[in-house]
Amino acid sequence: MIDALQVLILGLALGGVFALMASGLTLIFGVMRIVNLAHPIMIIVGAFIAYWLFRSYGVDPILATPIAAAALFVIGIGLYKTVFEKEAANAKYSEMTVLLTFAVALCFDGLLGSLFSNTQRVTTPAYATDAFFLGDIFIPKGQAYAGIVSLVIIAGLLVFLKFTRFGTAIRATTQNRAAAQLMGVNVQRVSMLTFGIGLGLAGAAGALVSFIFSFFPAKHWEWIAILMSLVVLGGMGKIMGAVIGALLLSVIAAFVGTYAGATWSTMTFFIALFVILLVRPQGLLGDKVEEA
Amino acid sequence: MTVPYDVGDVIAARRQYNAGLASSGRRERVKWFPWALLAVLAVLPLIQLNGGGYNYVLHLVLYAMMYSAMASSWNILGGYTGYISLGHNVFFCIGGYFSGMILAYTGISSIITAPLAGLVAGAIGYLIGLVTLRMRGPTFIISSIALLMVARILFDNWHFVGGSNGVSLPPIGLGPQWAKIPYYYAFLVLAAVTVWCSYRIKHSKFGLGLRAISQDEVKAESAGIDTRLYKTLVFAISAFFVSVAGAVWGEYLTYIRPNIFLIILVAANLVLMCILGGKGTVAGPVVGTVVFVAFNEISLIVMGASEINLLVTGVIMVVTLLFFPAGIVGTLAKMKKLPRFLDWD
Repeated sequence: MIDALQVLILGLALGGVFALMASGLTLIFGVMRIVNLAHPIMIIVGAFIAYWLFRSYGVDPILATPIAAAALFVIGIGLYKTVFEKEAANAKYSEMTVLLTFAVALCFDGLLGSLFSNTQRVTTPAYATDAFFLGDIFIPKGQAYAGIVSLVIIAGLLVFLKFTRFGTAIRATTQNRAAAQLMGVNVQRVSMLTFGIGLGLAGAAGALVSFIFSFFPAKHWEWIAILMSLVVLGGMGKIMGAVIGALLLSVIAAFVGTYAGATWSTMTFFIALFVILLVRPQGLLGDKVEEA
Repeated sequence: MTVPYDVGDVIAARRQYNAGLASSGRRERVKWFPWALLAVLAVLPLIQLNGGGYNYVLHLVLYAMMYSAMASSWNILGGYTGYISLGHNVFFCIGGYFSGMILAYTGISSIITAPLAGLVAGAIGYLIGLVTLRMRGPTFIISSIALLMVARILFDNWHFVGGSNGVSLPPIGLGPQWAKIPYYYAFLVLAAVTVWCSYRIKHSKFGLGLRAISQDEVKAESAGIDTRLYKTLVFAISAFFVSVAGAVWGEYLTYIRPNIFLIILVAANLVLMCILGGKGTVAGPVVGTVVFVAFNEISLIVMGASEINLLVTGVIMVVTLLFFPAGIVGTLAKMKKLPRFLDWD
């Protein structure tokens, strides 16, 4: 019983971080209908920024979160302007856009790999190796902090989407792009800023990930499928869906990892992805999928 | 009211008219070029007669032929049918391992067992296709990446095939001068057959159905095309050739290991070669492969082997997708400047 509770808590803490990683992805998909395969590499860029700040200036990775987010926001706007602006208007080429994000991912992967080499890195603040003890249960401080910060950021995002004018514009564009445009929403601007915000969330997640996982540039291919499974389970474009999907799947993966071995823990996500796509392709919270 | 014409006559007249149209459009085509290319490639190993020393040239040509075959094969699925798979090297891996394990245990050369490996991968591809091809568009792309990840984990942990260390295969018993020749001809035959099949499929009713699926699947289905059958069949066909290439490649390298076959770069190369040359054209994948291999080789000589390769691949892909998504052959054809010897359609 204690064991099960222990695993549950570890799964939930990790799930919080996964939720943050997936929220940007689902936000971008909702507004732009782009499956951003470059999302995980941006998380790694964020992790590298946190790593660099930690090594050079001793900045705590949690405090580096806003810096990484801001940097990635700028990268996101730049990428949108240079690469995606032309394609985003063109709904017919949604597959081409996926390939485009794939190519961007390759670029960043190669760039990071050649600049910093593909060795395992991890930031080591004091709390990364420390833990809370509640009776027999231990909670690693690093994962607990990362999970809590992630959930706070997601709560902030939800409040922003719910109560600000720009958030309403984003939600309107998600629901129906054409109708939003007719109601006077500047869809191009919304897309651009959403892409920036989405990558900003990836940057924040990267800073948090930097002390709970060891990371290297080529790792993002594994994360793509993991993040996709979370997003697809919750329903593409739904932020709450991504959160629920992330918490649910990481708890399941934690149990699988404990009772069947760590290899199968990663496998859970991939198998889940197939099963969800087959059984309920619109996800838990999603509406019926309309293919363009 | 009577029908003034016999229906059979009308159909026959229309068929004749269509045949006339088709021949007038195609009369200009340079039919000898593919044959000439094939002949040149077939006699190329003769340069080895004078004591050898051309292994590098042979290796490059062989490598280009292998990727031409795989890219053409990918093109049947990704170009004609419009289902973009980023996990197609799973079949490359299946082929390599199937024939590789037979070679390791019984000593039968992979070149002989390669067609069998192709059939096995085709069957597996058919089964996988039944599941994954129910998805469409971006969702299918994601599922193909997930397939690659699943295969990587399985092969990394499968002790019978050596896990992540893989298996060493016995080298062929020929001296360095002749060691590449059997594989060279195997890949030549494979590339020729694949391109020929790609051509035949494009010009068949089956190919017409595939192209209809890529345009609009729902309309294709309502026009009476069994889209499910077409898609799974094309997935299996596409898996077949990639797997044959993998089988020969494994023995050529003399070892099989997951991180040769199951890295995303292989899939990225396939996609890039097709898009660079022209997705959905017969000559496109071949042209794309030649350009890409040449470019890659030059960048290797200039910058050395490093992660830069990945960056270069990505940059070429972005530029191609943004500025000429129809690829070299497609763009030239649109501008009516396609050299006639490259018009293989």
